[in-house]
Amino acid sequence: MINDEVIYETWSVCPVCLKRITARRVKKDDGIFLIKTCPEHGQFESIIWRGYADLNNWIGASAAAFEKEPPCPDECGLCNDHLRKTCCVLLNVTDRCNLQCRFCLADQDNNSADPPLEEILLSLPKIVEKGKSLVQLSGGEPTMRDDLPHIVRAIKEAGAGYVQLNSNGIRLGEDKEYVKELAQAGLSFVFMQFDGTNDTINLSLRGKGLLKIKQQAIDNCAEYNIGVTLVPTLVRSVNTENIGELVRYAISQSPKVRGIHFQPVSYFGRIPEKPSGQDRITLDELIHEIECQTTGLVKSEDLLPSCCDHPLCGFHGDFVVDNDKLFALLNQENKGNNCCDSSAADKNREFVAKRWLRPVKNEQQEQCCCGDIHNMEYFLNKVSAHGFTITSMMFQDAGNIDFSRLRRCSLHVYDNGKHIPFCAYYLTAWRG
Amino acid sequence: MEVEKKKLVCCKCQKELEMMKTDFTYLGHSFFTELPRCPGCGQVYIPEELVRSRISEVEMQLEDK
Repeated sequence: MINDEVIYETWSVCPVCLKRITARRVKKDDGIFLIKTCPEHGQFESIIWRGYADLNNWIGASAAAFEKEPPCPDECGLCNDHLRKTCCVLLNVTDRCNLQCRFCLADQDNNSADPPLEEILLSLPKIVEKGKSLVQLSGGEPTMRDDLPHIVRAIKEAGAGYVQLNSNGIRLGEDKEYVKELAQAGLSFVFMQFDGTNDTINLSLRGKGLLKIKQQAIDNCAEYNIGVTLVPTLVRSVNTENIGELVRYAISQSPKVRGIHFQPVSYFGRIPEKPSGQDRITLDELIHEIECQTTGLVKSEDLLPSCCDHPLCGFHGDFVVDNDKLFALLNQENKGNNCCDSSAADKNREFVAKRWLRPVKNEQQEQCCCGDIHNMEYFLNKVSAHGFTITSMMFQDAGNIDFSRLRRCSLHVYDNGKHIPFCAYYLTAWRG
Repeated sequence: MEVEKKKLVCCKCQKELEMMKTDFTYLGHSFFTELPRCPGCGQVYIPEELVRSRISEVEMQLEDK
């Protein structure tokens, strides 16, 4: 249209054939779009910003232009053009799962054999950087493996700083002995799929009511001092009206629950259908909904853009839960702190780990009970036991992948000797 | 063994410092704690060990990644 304004030139792929093509961020009356044209399959556009906040202000000065055609994603694993080291490395330990979800990035396969334990153990020197690595165990559903505690122990013994389990929580709720074994093996924290505060949502997205078992999983993890972060996958008209309730529920579960991590649905792996423009939940829209639906409990200015990854890839807010209210630790004065250097991934890792890990039990005593969060001693006791994060990660799919974002990715999947940026690893073409 | 508490005297007013509620701010947040302060000029003494431990911990908690 005549008023459309190109605000950034970047690179992407054709969602049908995955050929690398140029793309533009274009400002229109109803939002900012990523627009690209494949010579064979035509034009595609995907909304990336709805206009609840100023995009330039959110991105800041980080939008460096491409000087040449990038090699993404063909040479992913990692190439010299990649701008970030590994913050978190994801290790898939199975393709099997005990759910059959409408959306599944991994598109689970229950007939597939798990990678043998010996193979995993042999790969650890390539995965673990001593004293640093945060290794995420993922799948499929990792708890399908009985030898998962053995894998956790081996990763810790190899020197990893932290081991995170990405799980739907079913076995963690059903099998307390298994949770105990994971804790004894050194599991640091769990990222637990948690899509809604009612089972209508679980039935729609996961095919069964799961609320009771997930509560049990939270309680079992708490018994063995494993921090849990709740991870809702947001799907328009399924649980986008439940965002505020999810935040309140997560807060009510503090200190057992250490935070909530929103993932607006991405269209890779198994998806019911290709997204329409209305289906996309943009970052600014999510922040707006969090503020509106929590009626001011969380303010949009408390949530800051990713600075390790690209600002369009997520946000983070850091809080202390104090009598069911949130005391925000980050504010606009933190924005733009210089973390975009070579150690960004290290800083990011330590930040998330210190929040998602529960302190050892003898450090959880709240010695000062004055109840005033501005009292230094009370604050320090609270922040350790009742720290709480609200974070989000906006994964990219074939429709909206933007290589200026991809080259700043610090979440890498380990596969066959390579560290591959998450969204490049799971990139799948939309057929038809 | 009980450590003998040292008397702190203000070098300007020569008055003995008293423990008083003291506010400090960092990155837009304000906190308070009890610190030795001169009842005359209001100057505050912050012990180095407190700076290295609790105050530095507060700063780290408020700093972004």
